[in-house]
Amino acid sequence: MAQAFTKAMARNIFYGGSVFFFLLFLALTFDSMGQLPMRDNRAALSSDLGPTIAHGKMLWEENNCIGCHTLLGEGAYFAPELGNVYTRYGNSTEAIKVFIKSRPVQGVENRRSMPQFNFNEEELEALAQFLKYVSEINSAKWPPNVQG
Amino acid sequence: MSNTLTIEGVRQPPGDFAIWIFIMAELLVFAIFFAAYAMTRMSHVELFNEFQLQLNRRAALANTLVLITSSYFVVRAVSAISGGKARSCLRWLLAAMGMGGLFICIKSAEFAHHFALGVNLSTNLFYMFYLSLTFFHFMHVILGLVILGAVAYKTRQGHYSAMNHTGVETAAAYWHMVDLVWLILFPLVYVMR
Amino acid sequence: MKYQSQAVAKPYFVAAIVLFVAQITFGLIIGLQYVIGDFLFPEIPFNVARMVHTNTLIVWLLFGFMGAAYYLVPEESETELHSPWLAKLMFWVFLVAAGLTVAGYLLVPYSGLAKLTGNSLLPTMGREFLEQPTITKLGIVVVALAFLFNIGMTVLKGRKTVVNLVLLLGLVGLAVFFLFSFYNPTNVVLDKYFWWWTVHLWVEGVWELILGSILAFVLIKVTGVDREVIEKWLYVIIAMTLITGIIGTGHHFYWIGTPEYWQWLGSIFSALEPIPFFMMAVFAFNMVNKRRRNHPNRVATLWALGTAVMAFLGAGVWGFLHTLAPVNYYTHGTQITAAHGHMAFFGAYVMINLTMISYAMPLLRGRTLANSSRQQTLETWAFWLMTISIVLITLFLTGAGILQTYMQRVSVTPQPFMAVQEQISLFYWLREYTGLVFLLGLTLYIASFFVGRKDPEPAVAN
Repeated sequence: MAQAFTKAMARNIFYGGSVFFFLLFLALTFDSMGQLPMRDNRAALSSDLGPTIAHGKMLWEENNCIGCHTLLGEGAYFAPELGNVYTRYGNSTEAIKVFIKSRPVQGVENRRSMPQFNFNEEELEALAQFLKYVSEINSAKWPPNVQG
Repeated sequence: MSNTLTIEGVRQPPGDFAIWIFIMAELLVFAIFFAAYAMTRMSHVELFNEFQLQLNRRAALANTLVLITSSYFVVRAVSAISGGKARSCLRWLLAAMGMGGLFICIKSAEFAHHFALGVNLSTNLFYMFYLSLTFFHFMHVILGLVILGAVAYKTRQGHYSAMNHTGVETAAAYWHMVDLVWLILFPLVYVMR
Repeated sequence: MKYQSQAVAKPYFVAAIVLFVAQITFGLIIGLQYVIGDFLFPEIPFNVARMVHTNTLIVWLLFGFMGAAYYLVPEESETELHSPWLAKLMFWVFLVAAGLTVAGYLLVPYSGLAKLTGNSLLPTMGREFLEQPTITKLGIVVVALAFLFNIGMTVLKGRKTVVNLVLLLGLVGLAVFFLFSFYNPTNVVLDKYFWWWTVHLWVEGVWELILGSILAFVLIKVTGVDREVIEKWLYVIIAMTLITGIIGTGHHFYWIGTPEYWQWLGSIFSALEPIPFFMMAVFAFNMVNKRRRNHPNRVATLWALGTAVMAFLGAGVWGFLHTLAPVNYYTHGTQITAAHGHMAFFGAYVMINLTMISYAMPLLRGRTLANSSRQQTLETWAFWLMTISIVLITLFLTGAGILQTYMQRVSVTPQPFMAVQEQISLFYWLREYTGLVFLLGLTLYIASFFVGRKDPEPAVAN
C-alpha cells in the first residue's frame, strides 16, 4: 500500500476485531450452554436432594468457605481443594460432616485452623451433599489425583 | 509518502510497522491452529481419517474455486482503480463480493448438514478441529465481505483515484490473506490422509 | 492544573493510598498466617483477613481509576467537569460504603453479616473478590453510574480525543461486566462460567483499556510526542488486547465442567495475550526515546516505563507460564497462580495508578510541573523497593508453586495438601520478610508526599 497505516485504520481494526471476537465468544457460549446438561450434574439439582444441595451452596457462600479453600481449583490457597473431598474421604458424606463438626473452637496450635461453625445436623448434611454434587461434575479429569 | 521507503538502501515493506502486527497476528493464530491440528492428527490418525470421510469434499473444492475466482476479481478491481477507472473497480469488487457470498452459502449448507446430524464441537476431536477451524475462517470471510463492502461503497462515492486508493489495496490484501488461509485449510483438513 | 474541577481527583488519590496501606497491612497478616497458622485465630480468621486484603485492593484501584478520570478527562476534553459536587458526593458515598463493608468483615462473623444485610433476598455474597454484601454491590452500581454520567457528560461537552473515548469505553465495560456479579445460580458450573465474565473480562479485558489510555495520557504529557502517534498505538494495543483476551477467557474454562474444546481455544488465544503487553513496553520505551522534551517529573516517567515492563512480566510472561492447558492441569489452583496474580496486579494496575498519581499529584498540590528533587529521589527509592520486592515475592511463590505442583500433583506418590504446605514453608517465610521490605517501600512512598515540599522544582532542561 502506498500510504502509512493510519490512526483511522487502527481504530477500525480495534472496533472490527472486538465485535468479531465478542460475537464468536457469544456463539461459543451458546454452544457451551447446550453442552452443559451433559456435564454439570444438574440431575442432582432437580432430584429430591436438589433443595438440600441448594441449601448447601448457600451455606458454602454465607460462611465464605472459598476464603480458605479452592473449589475446582478456584478460590484461596490456604486450605485443601474441596471439589473432590467427597472422593478423598472414601465417598462418604459422614466423613465430611465429622470433620467439619470436629474443628476445635480455638484452632490447633501453630497450625492453619478452620473455624467451628456450629452447624446443626441439617446444615452439615446440606454442605456434604453440596460437596458430593460438585465432585460429580465432569471436570475433564481434574484434579490429577485424589489429593486435589 | 513514497512507495519505496529506503533506509540505507534497504527497501522497507509498504505501510507502517503496525499493520504488519495484525497480519502477523492473524497468520500466527491460524498457523498455531494448523500446527495443533497436524500434531493432534498424528496421534489420532484413524479417528481423523474416519470422520474426514464424512466431509463434503466436492463442496469444499467448489469453495476453493470460488475463493480463487474472487481473489482474481479483487486483483482486477485494484488494477482498475490504479488506472483511475472507479466504475470498473466497483463492478469487480461487487463480483468478488458475489463470489464471497457464494462461499458463505456453500459453507453454511455444509454446517447445516452437520448440525442436522447432531454434530457439534464436542462430538469428537476431529470435529472439534474441523468446526473450529472452518467456522473461524468462515467468520473471517464475513469480515472480509464487510471490508470489501465498505470499500465498494466508498468507491461508488468517488473516494478513490489512481493516485490515492490505499483503502482498496488494504481490503485486497486482507481478502488475499483470507483466501490464502483457505488454500492451506482445504488440503490439510479435507484432503490429506 | 488547567481546569479547576480537576481538583476533585485529589481526595480520590488520597483515599486510594490510604486503602493501599490497609491492603498491605492485611497482606502481611495473611502472609504470616500462612506460616503461623493460628495467628489471630479465631478473631480474624484467614478468610476474613484475605477478603479485606483483596477487597481493599480492588476498591483502591477503583478510587485511583476514578481520580485518574476526573483529572485527565477535563484536560483532554478541554472543558470543566460536568458536576464537581456530584464527584465529591460520590467520593464520600463510596468511601463510607467501603469503610462500613470492611468494618462488617472484621467485626461480625461473615454469616452474621449475610443475615444483617439481607443477603437471602438476593444472594450475591460468598464468592471470591465478590464478598461484598448485596447492598454494597448495589451501592457500587450507583456510584459507578453517577461517575460514568459525570465523565460521559464532560466528554460529550468537549473534545472527544482517543484517550478520552478509550478510557470511557473501558470504564463503561467495567460497569457492565460488574453486573454479572449479581448472577449467582445454584448450578456451580454456570456460577463459575459467568463469574469469569466479571473477573477475566475486567482484568484481562476492559481494565487494559483503562491502563492503556492512562499510560497514553501520561506519555503524551511527559514526552511531548505527537498525540497522533501515541493514539494510533493505543488503538493497536487495545485491539490486540480484546482480540486475544475475549476468547482467552477460555483459559478459565478448562476444569470447571465446561466442554473440553475450551482447552484448545483458551490455550491458543490466551497464549497470545502477552502480545499487547509486549507492545505496550516497546511503545513506552519508544515514545520516551523519541521524546521532544525532558519533563522535570522524571519519577513519573520512571513509573510509566516500570508499569509497561512489570505488566509485561507479571501479566504477560507469568501468565503465559501457566496458561497452556497441559501445564495448567498440574498447576491449577497452586502458588503458581498466586505468584502470577501478585505480579500481574502490581505491575499493571497498582503501577498505572501510582504512575498517574506521580504525574498528577504535584500539579494538584500547586506545583507547576513536578515535585522537588528531594521528593523525587525519595519516591524513586520507593519505586525500586516496591518493584524489586514484588519480583522477589513472585519468585518465592513460584518456587513454592513448582514444589507444590510436583509434590501434590505430578509425583506418582502425591502428598496431601497440608503436608506439602508444611514442606514449602521456607518460601512463605522468605515471602513474608520481602513483604516487610515492600512495606518499607510503601512507607518511603508516603513520606515522599510530606518531605521537601518547600524545595524548588527541578530546572527544566532544553
